[in-house]
Amino acid sequence: MSLREPAWRVTARELESSFEEEKGEGERPATYLLSPFGARMNRVLLAGSLSPAESIGRDETQAFWRARLSDPTGAVAVTAGSFQPRAMAQLRAASAPRPAVVVGKAHLFRGRDGVGYVSVRAEAVRSVAESEERACVADIVRQTLDRLDLLERVEKEPGITEAVVREQGLPPSWLRAAQESLRRYPNVDRRAFRQELGSAVRRVAGESGPSRGTLPTPATVTVTRAPPPRPTPPPPSAAERAEESLFLDQLDEIADVSTDGYADLKEVLARASAQGLVADRAEAVLNRLEEEGVIEEPIVGKLRRA
Amino acid sequence: MTGARAPTNGIHRPASMTGRALLSPNEVLARALPPMSAEPSTPTPVETRLRDLRPTSSPVELVARVVTSDRREVTRRSDGSRRPVLSGLLSDGTATVRFTWWDPPREGIERGIVLRAVGAEVREFRGRAEVTFGWKTRVGPASPAELPPVDAAEVPFRTVRDLRPGDEGFRIELRVARITPKSVTVGTERRVVHEGLVADRTGSIALSSWSDFGLRAGEAVRIAGGYVRAFRGRPQIVLDESSIVVRIEGADLPEPAQLLASPPRSIAEVEDEGGGEAVAVEGLVVGLLPPSGIVFRCPTCQRTVRSGICRVHGQVEGRADLRARIVLDDGTGALTINANRADTERLWGVTLEEAEARLRSQPDPTLIEEQMLESLLGRRLRVRGAGTRDDFGVTLTPESIERVDIDLDAAAEELTLRLGGSR
Repeated sequence: MSLREPAWRVTARELESSFEEEKGEGERPATYLLSPFGARMNRVLLAGSLSPAESIGRDETQAFWRARLSDPTGAVAVTAGSFQPRAMAQLRAASAPRPAVVVGKAHLFRGRDGVGYVSVRAEAVRSVAESEERACVADIVRQTLDRLDLLERVEKEPGITEAVVREQGLPPSWLRAAQESLRRYPNVDRRAFRQELGSAVRRVAGESGPSRGTLPTPATVTVTRAPPPRPTPPPPSAAERAEESLFLDQLDEIADVSTDGYADLKEVLARASAQGLVADRAEAVLNRLEEEGVIEEPIVGKLRRA
Repeated sequence: MTGARAPTNGIHRPASMTGRALLSPNEVLARALPPMSAEPSTPTPVETRLRDLRPTSSPVELVARVVTSDRREVTRRSDGSRRPVLSGLLSDGTATVRFTWWDPPREGIERGIVLRAVGAEVREFRGRAEVTFGWKTRVGPASPAELPPVDAAEVPFRTVRDLRPGDEGFRIELRVARITPKSVTVGTERRVVHEGLVADRTGSIALSSWSDFGLRAGEAVRIAGGYVRAFRGRPQIVLDESSIVVRIEGADLPEPAQLLASPPRSIAEVEDEGGGEAVAVEGLVVGLLPPSGIVFRCPTCQRTVRSGICRVHGQVEGRADLRARIVLDDGTGALTINANRADTERLWGVTLEEAEARLRSQPDPTLIEEQMLESLLGRRLRVRGAGTRDDFGVTLTPESIERVDIDLDAAAEELTLRLGGSR
């Protein structure tokens, strides 16, 4: 059964702070963007001020438009291409920033530098009255607080069950999202995020005007990424250490007398073999030393100390 | 007939069971069928209860009431001759099974009559027992008194949550949330069915009673002898002449007001439970599903007409109608609301006539849908209705759709408090 993905109510800041992804299950698995604040989103709903769109399509046959949605916490890019003709028409329609509601798919782009950029591929966009925008922001803040409260509860009681969550009127999917958020983002400044939500609440109260254009908001939310779990190799045994020093001795001796300062790989292997280090053992030692950064092979067949 | 119903000890028996001026179906049948034997029925019952039917090689004897029957003819492959066959459902209050009757009597077998069959074959079809009356089977009329006594104290108590289509032979205590008589055509006959909504603490379910038990909204009842069937994808409890309804105190049953004005629940929860008869949800409109906007319906069956063709009635002149299939999302889940013309006109603020005029000036039906979405997206709605779930999620047939305007000042105050409280 493939149920429709719910539209997670999120602020721009929460999207900006998200850079962990997860693949769903099934025949055509959906991709989920995990936020540090307990959202596991495929579809999202945002409200704020939408800037006029600019065309970023490569050519006319592949129309692609981008606008920015700013809410009191931050800003996020909203895009629409020819596969979302209605949303694209809506994006293109405006010539000035206006209050809007956007429903779309959260999309994570990872640049070459490894930095993630989140955008929203719009499915539906609508200009709304300011009161409607504020009502949507209220909805967003309320659900964000619900998620934060759940997250903090799960942190305190990791063994919390689905039944307990259900009793609070929250879906079990939120519990799984909270657990995954805590695992993927172990060090998150949630206090700072709550403070930013305060400005969204002021927007609900009508105390601040609609946010305009792109706000250069300072990144008050700093998240540190959990290092990916890597199996640590067992420390080398004494016998392995002995093999390594034997190998390095041969290498040094050859390098000392060579004209270019490199030790010829074949020569090292031959000498090591003569000393009783058989070929496949020598190969293993070579690989280990290279991995540890002790030696390097800048030219094929030529070794030197790193 | 009106004076025939006499409530005794709170048990209401319908009029049709007590007195009748015309020949009873059993009398008709008695003329159609030869008498089986002159002996009085033996005191120890030899018949098998339908609940206990198992596919066996040895024929069984049973007494059961015909619930439905359908007559057709089967062409023999060997010589091309036609052989009549009657099939339908039999019930004895313990279970309902399908039956097939080869070479049945020409007339007299109709809904409601009680039969005794000796030498019926039992076989299994798709995991359920079925009975076949063949040339070796002797079938004759029986009186309702011969039906296996179903001691009300013997059948198990059930709750709404664990009722499944096909269930029978259970007792259940329910609150009647609402009930209204409705006149329907069954075949060629006009009949009155009392349709309503009943509930216990575990949930609510539709009720459809083919017999007038004088049910009123607000009453608490204990029901025995009903069965559960799926109607338009939703389970409902069906009562007929053989059902027993007893008024009870029902102190632990929910009040009707509670049922009809229950606060909205999360859509995730509704998805989990697979819908329900009285569902209330609140969320934002996040999209429309096709077909929304102007649709054309078959004038006979109201099905949507595609390319001028009705699925059942072929080429027809479709009648224009307005509808919206609204995707409502509350952040925990999403469901589809099938809004009818009146609701669509009210929410959209455009009437069918106006929409048709627009269609004439801009002959692109997708524009209509787009304009509709334009006015609905992001709106907060509270919807009550009956929900069914299929592979794509829950669809709600709404009873009421209301726009909800939230009090922004109150919301801001509440949220400020929540933010402050956690600092």
